[in-house]
Amino acid sequence: MRSRRGVDTFTCLVRKEWRELMASRSWWVMLLLIGPLVGVSFISAVRTYGELSGVNGTAAGVGEAFSPLIGIWAPTFSACELAAAFLLPFVAIRLVAGDRLSGALLLELQQPFPAFARVLAKATVLMGGWLIASAAPMLGVLLWWIYGGSIHVPELLTVLTGHVLNAGLAMALAAAAATITEHPSTAAIVTLTVTVGGWIINFAAAVNGGIWERLAHYTPTAMVGEFQHGLVRLEIVLVASALTCAGLGLAAIWTRLGQTSSRRAIESAVLLASTTIVIVACTFVRPSWDTSEARLNSFALVDQRRLESLDVPLRLEAHLAPEDPRRADLERNAISKLRRTVRDFDIRYVSETTTGLFEQTREQYGQIHYQLGSRTGVSRATTVEGVLNEIYTLAEIAPDRDGYEEDVFRGRPLAATPRGAAPLFYMGWPALVAVVALIARGRSA
Amino acid sequence: MIAGSPQVILRVSHLTKTYRGIGAVRAASFSVWPGEVLGLIGPNGSGKTTLFGCLGGVLPYDTGRVETFTAADTPAIFYLPDAITPWPEQTVEWSLTFARRYFRASNEMTPEWLERLGLQNILRKRIRNLSKGQRKRALLAIGLITPHPILLLDEPFDGLDLRQTREVAQLLRSVAAGGRTLFLSIHQISEADRVCDRFVLLSEGRVCGEGTLEELAARVVHTPRGQTQTLEDVFLALT
Repeated sequence: MRSRRGVDTFTCLVRKEWRELMASRSWWVMLLLIGPLVGVSFISAVRTYGELSGVNGTAAGVGEAFSPLIGIWAPTFSACELAAAFLLPFVAIRLVAGDRLSGALLLELQQPFPAFARVLAKATVLMGGWLIASAAPMLGVLLWWIYGGSIHVPELLTVLTGHVLNAGLAMALAAAAATITEHPSTAAIVTLTVTVGGWIINFAAAVNGGIWERLAHYTPTAMVGEFQHGLVRLEIVLVASALTCAGLGLAAIWTRLGQTSSRRAIESAVLLASTTIVIVACTFVRPSWDTSEARLNSFALVDQRRLESLDVPLRLEAHLAPEDPRRADLERNAISKLRRTVRDFDIRYVSETTTGLFEQTREQYGQIHYQLGSRTGVSRATTVEGVLNEIYTLAEIAPDRDGYEEDVFRGRPLAATPRGAAPLFYMGWPALVAVVALIARGRSA
Repeated sequence: MIAGSPQVILRVSHLTKTYRGIGAVRAASFSVWPGEVLGLIGPNGSGKTTLFGCLGGVLPYDTGRVETFTAADTPAIFYLPDAITPWPEQTVEWSLTFARRYFRASNEMTPEWLERLGLQNILRKRIRNLSKGQRKRALLAIGLITPHPILLLDEPFDGLDLRQTREVAQLLRSVAAGGRTLFLSIHQISEADRVCDRFVLLSEGRVCGEGTLEELAARVVHTPRGQTQTLEDVFLALT
């Protein structure tokens, strides 16, 4: 009986929040803007992809190495990243803070109902609104299919998942800020500060490495980046989910106006401490999946099988500064894949400066020291082949050239032009949104 | 009603609320009887809204007790704040429907109520587009539709003209006659005199008196012989 009543109240709140979303200008503005934003990215991506695939005879053959994941989906959906950082928080703040400013919250709070469920009703509606906004990049997918482009569903779903998680984070942050601060403008400043803070962490990671580099793995930008490369790391999914729940939990705590500020502050501190513990625990979670058709995040199958069979610890010590481009190459091409493949793997970066410019004369600078069990070796190669050669030498594994043929990705070149995209995204989408907005807002009044 | 408290529906004991060390409500104690219209009388800034917020559960209080004695296991008190514009983008009609469903009220807003509150012609208007008086009447309708046995109305006559004030006062009296307990916060004493059965006088956060006009008048020592005490006289004498 009680749970039935709870479901009824939740449904009632979701319906109400949906009406409030339909009545909010901020959501319609976001919806209006996301079309042209996606349009700019999609048209530019298709044009570049087409040119490199050989249209007009510019660069025939180059497209063979192309994957729509990197060439089309990543740039097209990047508009969602922009919207999640700069538009969605305002929609969320409007929906969450609006009730408090209007006094509606004073009335609604008098019906006994869990505060988290109350916030969850808002989050549900906001996520629904976000998924509707995601129709714009999905329109790009449809156009790509009409052009004759290839669609690898798992990698497309991965990109979508990344943006949904990112949107969840943005919403949770905005909801927490909207309930903790006195005014929506303050909440907007707090939200943008956190966004800029994420960029600062990424910058600090690039300059200083170390703990900053570790932290930078969990910024929304880095998280979305991994999904855009077709990599699903359970650790990232769990951390993003924990942060989203924490944000919504904070919002729930501060929604309860009948509690003293000190009690709410203590509850917030407990929640944040618990979240920190959960996040630390999540960092030990290892499973990950490479959903990209081109196996962008994995070694060739033959290498993967060999590396998975290593039964001794592999330790690397790379003498490369954080800003040294070779370090970025090494990390992207080999280390990120080794982390996913080798069971017992660790790497330590050593440098005295951030750029490495004045360390070049140091004998060890640029060296990568390998330790596989009791065997050691040194190399300067930062390519996949160089790193694997060194590991295979230490492991005394003979090279097998024939095995590589089985899983070579030939690419999905498409010499297409973005025909019809400009009128669709720049005129059709805004016009459709405007008409629907007029009808929906009129109906809600 | 529970055994041991056959007549009181709400008892407030030594309720205190401070804002950064400044007492907004100071050890307020009083009782509310079922089916009565109780007036909380006090000048602006005397702590009426704070007291109502505490009773309604939307504002924490420092010390004291608030006890309700009702049979239902649902919340006993509904507090309708003054000067709010809830769900501003929605219509009056939708707001009433939402309030009825959300608070699980069994009572409909009858045509008679709509007429007495003058809402028939504004049902399809958005709340943000209503005038102050219209908004007040829409809010009163939301309050009246809720199922809670005790209804706290903050400044129910604020923004209403004379005719509307009388109409609303009559409506509130009929609601109380139906068994619902009304607790009205009013700063205009003449209006309180017209609608309330009993009064709680509040000044600077303290309860200065509680009772009917006669009971309060009896507490005033220096009453000239043969002169009838008005609520204003009593209030000025006791606060």
